Parts: sequence; C-alpha cells; structure tokens
Amino acid sequence: MISTDPRVDAYAKLLVERCLDVQPGMQVLIRTTPLAAPVVTALEREIAHRGAYPILRIGFVMWPANPVWAAEAPEALLAELAEIDRFASDHMDARITMDAPENTRDGSDLPPRRFQLTRQAEHYFFRRTMAGEIPWVSCAFPTEALAQDAGLTLAQFEDVLYGACLVDWEREAERMQHLAERFDAAEQVRIVGAGTDLTLSLAGREGKVDDGHDNMPGGEFFYSPLEDSAEGVIDFSEFPSTYQGHEFAGIRLRFRDGAVVEASARKGEATLHALLDRDEGARRVGELGIGCNAAITRPMKNVLFDEKIDGSVHLALGQSYEKVGGKNVSSIHWDIVKDLRPGGRIELDGERVQENGAWLI
Amino acid sequence: MAAVDPRVEQYARLLVERSLDVQPGWQVMVVATPLARPLVEEVVRLIARRGAYPLVRLSWTDMEQVPFDSLWGSEAPVEMLETMAPSEARTREELDAWMLILAPENARAGLVLDAERRGLLRKASIPFNRRRLAPGFPWVGCTYPTPAGAQEAGLTLEAFEDFVYGAALLDWDAERERMQRYADRFDAVDAVRIVAEGTDLTVSLTGRHGMVDDAHYNVPGGEFFFSPVEDSAEGVVTFGEFPAVYHGAIVQGVRLRFEGGKVIEATAAANEEFLIATLDTDEGARRLGELGIGCNPGIQDHMGHPAFDEKIDGTVHLAVGAGLAFVGGTNQSAVHWDMVKDLRRGGRIELDGELVQEDGRWLL
Repeated sequence: MISTDPRVDAYAKLLVERCLDVQPGMQVLIRTTPLAAPVVTALEREIAHRGAYPILRIGFVMWPANPVWAAEAPEALLAELAEIDRFASDHMDARITMDAPENTRDGSDLPPRRFQLTRQAEHYFFRRTMAGEIPWVSCAFPTEALAQDAGLTLAQFEDVLYGACLVDWEREAERMQHLAERFDAAEQVRIVGAGTDLTLSLAGREGKVDDGHDNMPGGEFFYSPLEDSAEGVIDFSEFPSTYQGHEFAGIRLRFRDGAVVEASARKGEATLHALLDRDEGARRVGELGIGCNAAITRPMKNVLFDEKIDGSVHLALGQSYEKVGGKNVSSIHWDIVKDLRPGGRIELDGERVQENGAWLI
Repeated sequence: MAAVDPRVEQYARLLVERSLDVQPGWQVMVVATPLARPLVEEVVRLIARRGAYPLVRLSWTDMEQVPFDSLWGSEAPVEMLETMAPSEARTREELDAWMLILAPENARAGLVLDAERRGLLRKASIPFNRRRLAPGFPWVGCTYPTPAGAQEAGLTLEAFEDFVYGAALLDWDAERERMQRYADRFDAVDAVRIVAEGTDLTVSLTGRHGMVDDAHYNVPGGEFFFSPVEDSAEGVVTFGEFPAVYHGAIVQGVRLRFEGGKVIEATAAANEEFLIATLDTDEGARRLGELGIGCNPGIQDHMGHPAFDEKIDGTVHLAVGAGLAFVGGTNQSAVHWDMVKDLRRGGRIELDGELVQEDGRWLL
C-alpha cells in the first residue's frame, strides 16, 4: 500500500531514527494491525536502509493478540506465550507497538479470566522494554476507529496525531527538562483543584522526560512517587477514562499512606473496585506524569494522547517504573488523567509552579 | 465480521484436521495476507480447539518463503539477504507445522523483487525448506479466494470461490485411492516418456517412489509426484499451451532442451530474459526437481495459478530447481518453478514403452 500523505514517511523516519535509533543488524519487532499498512511499508524501507531486520507481528487485533484463539484454547496455554514468541521477545533489539484498531472494542467479549491470563502471558513480551534493556516506542496510526473514539473525522484525527508527533523534539526536550529539574529538586508535590487536594513525595526520586522516545507522541515527564506517600483526594471528573476496554467517568480516589482507601465513579464503579482488588499493588500510585504536548488540547479516549495534554497531570494506579526508582508491583498500570486548566494548580514544597495549566516557572 | 461462508469452515477443517492433523502443544505457523481473515480466524479457532498455538504471520506481498515483506528485500543491503533474521531462523527450526494461505491483493506484487534479490532471499530459506520437505513434517499450501485471485483466473469473485471450494472440498479418501492406483504403476517402472507437440522427453524414476497429494501438502490436492533421477532428463519439452508463472512473472512459450538431466537450451516466446536469469540462479536451477501428474477432476481450465494449474486433470508438470527430499530428490536449488504441460490435445504418457495415458485420459 502506498501512502500519498508525506507525513507518513516523516512519521516512519521519526520512529526509526529518533525513537529507536535503529542500528545495522538489529531485529526490530513491529506489532500492529493490517490497517497500518502505509506506515509499515515506510518503516520497512527505513529499516532496510539502516541495514536492519523488521520482524513483523501483524494481527487483526493487538491486545489480546488473538482473541479468537484466546476464547477457545485450553486455559493452561493462555498464561504463557508460545516458546517461539518468547524467543522472539528475548531476542528483539527494538520494539514498535503501534495501535491501529479496526474497532477499539475488539477482544472485549473475552471472559475476564481469559483476558487476565493473556495479560499474564504478555508480561513476558513487555519484560525487557519495561526494564529499559532495549529501545522501544508505543505509538498509533490513524484509523477510523481511533478517530471515532476521539469524536473526530479521520482527517481531523490525522491532523492531531501528526501535529503532536512531528514537532521539534530537541526544543521540547529542553523545555521539559527545565521543568523536570524543579520537580527533581523538590520533595513534595501538591495537586489542588476542584474536589482535589493530593500530596505525593518525590524525595530521592528523579524524573524522566519523554521527549519523543518511548511514546509517540511524547511530551510528558514522569516520576514514580514514594509508594507510601500519597495522601488526600483526587477527582478526575473532567475527562472520561478507558482501561482494558472499559469506560469510566467521574473517578474519585482517596489515599492514605499511599493506598486507595475510598473509591467511587459515576460510571464503571464496579469495574473500578474490581481493578483495585486485582492485587496488592493495584491500590498504589505507580506513576505521576505531567503532560506537556502543546498540540494535544482535548481528550480523545486514548491514554497515549490524553496523558500528554498540556496542562494536565496523570496518576497511574499499579505497576511503577523501575528506571525512575519505582518499586510498586502490580499486573495493572492504569493512567488516569486530571485536567488542571479549569482552576487547578501544582505546588512544589509549597511553592506554586503551575496555575490553570500554565507554568509559572 | 458477518456470517462466514460455511465452505470457509469446511476448508479450515480440512487444513487443520486432514492436512496438518494438529496435535496438542504444537506451534503452527500460519502465513497469510489480511484479506484471508475469515479463513485465518476459522483456522485459529480450530487450532485452539486442538490445544495448540497459532503463530499468525500476516503480510501484504508474497510471503511464500521469505520471512519479511518483499519490499524490505528490495531495499536492504544485498549482503543481508542470504541470511534470515536470527529470530525468524529460530522460528523455522522450532515450529511444528506450517500453513501458507495465498490470498493476494495483487498477483503481481512480488515483482518488486528482481531475480537476483529473490534468489538471494530464497537462499535464506534453504535450511527451512530442507526441514519442511523432509519426511514427516506437516505443511500445507492453499489458496483463499480474493478479488486479485479471481481476476487472474478471469472470473468474478463468486465464480472463483465456487471454483476454489469445488476443487478443494472433495472426498479425499476416494481421490486418494484412485490416484494411488496410477502412482503404483509409475513406481513399478524405470522410464517415463512424455510425448506431445514439440515435446519428447524421457525421465528416469528408477529407485524413486511417488507421493500422492490427497490434500496433505496442497489444498486443493489432486496430483501425484516424483523427484526424477537428477541426471536422467533427455529430450525437449514445450510448454506451448499455458504460460509459466513464477512469483508473479509470466513467461510465454517456454521450451527446454535437456541433456544428461540438465537444461542446455532454453527459449521463450516472451520474457525469455527472466527465464534465463532464473535458470542461472544456481547450479541446481537447470535440473528437474519434480515430475507431477495432475488429477483433480474439479480443475479443468488454466487459471494462471500454479497451485491449481498443476492439478488440472490431464496435465503433467515439471519443476526446475529444488528436488523434494521426502520422495528421494537430491537436487539442491533456491528455485522450484512448476511449469504445466497440457496433454489433453494429442499428448501421451508412456511407462517403459507402454502407453498409459492418451489425450489426458487414463488407459489404466
């Protein structure tokens, strides 16, 4: 498939050159769907020019990889990847996972227990990238289904996606690094807004800036806060949240000593409770992220984009990032985004650094 | 997805249960294009029911032997092409069964690779082909009807579906019995002579046993085949009735003269350059790897699809290139190009001098 949109070639180049910096001989695993054909074609060309191998893993659905199989295979097989897939996971030198769904609800009819087992199996696939052993990038290719969830036409969604990705990342890096250094130097972060007053400790923790490496679009910096530090309440009523095919609205969490002690939601409350009960670590904060991508201004029911909204912060319940000192372990990592533009603020050790989503530093 | 054609389900059952007979715990590679989704999903469902793992590998162009799109092969440094990526090589050492579903979007897509690059890419596949073609390894190649496939056959999609399923969904045990009877006669003789217009070719089957494809290696099946003794081919064969098709390239009017088993003269009415380049791929590309006899009663017309054309009842096909180790073939080559010869108008087959087929009809 040949694309006539020049942004597709620029996007492929960005992924291969900046995000992964593909080197000769590398095995670059690409996981996506057939709808991403135009960019996969461009990626193959870029990878060929760099003297590396594309390892294509194209499925009709990405998560779980094969719902038709997962619905009927013996449960004993579901919890582990096939040996050949484990080998490919052990030996890939870089990974591109590119969301390009035909229908964002595909796989949602899988019984929860079976879905859970496939997640367990996928853990092996993510193991090395989560440990920071190899370069990786999570990204998306514009499809009608993603545009539909975003409430946009495909052409509008393409403009948002490429507008958020094809930016001067060196300049963005500098801008975000400047902000992150202030957070690094502080111990306590306080987030205040409507129905919200939450403090977290970053003492001894350093942040990481995503300046267009692990996510495309990038445009955030993030921390794993001290696991027992979250205190107070946060109300995520501005945006809906989606996780593993479920939709939520009006989530409200109260933390004590780092753990969620009270949780409610206008929509999806039962699932919220089930997720919090998933395991020991599911009630703790694995990540605090600060969105900084100026090209993303409205939520699109797509966390890859929503968490980068300039003037928002996000908390992830569950698994934290080892590479930024996080110690929390969980089978979930659920990013929930809080908009601070309508009357929110961020304080560092008592000093106000952001108000109504605009930086004061 | 809307209701699936019930024939797709029967087709999937044939592939998983008869052709491969998938066993619990197996890792089954399924190579296809996205257009084959209805069949791929039925196949995956049946693999699940047998307690095995599907390794679905979707691609757009011409994945027959190569682990990656031809596009990569057309642009990567030439010295990389002979070596498969380690992950892909290892996959092919470990997998327990292999299914290829041809479902092209454009039957010419493979032309992106020139003969030299294709030859090098196919070299990377020699170790796997050796494993696949050894006795006992379950594999199957089949076709899923797509608009491009129909177009190539000169049919509407609906008519092409009827044709594909009509040729594939047969009583394969009955077909097996019929074909085995012919194959036994070939097994018992030394020399096969094929005579037709512009054609008088003799090959030796001494010490070789044939294999009947009753929907095990190809679906549709409907042929029996041999790897003739490698230095035995003598004489000339003219493929005047049908074009010879190889990875999307079409060569009209191929004429080959053999001496001591080797092509010593090759001409074509059109695209001769491609024919010669392919025969020059390597040492073995000028020798015969296969003699096959088409027997599928559901296939009467030439469709421009090698997988069907070679099964036309009343034809034979000769493949230049790699021999089939599971029937005793020893010829090594990166090429395996089946060319089909129609014997229904004035052709005949003789076994040790005895006339056994005339005008495509068996006298046995």
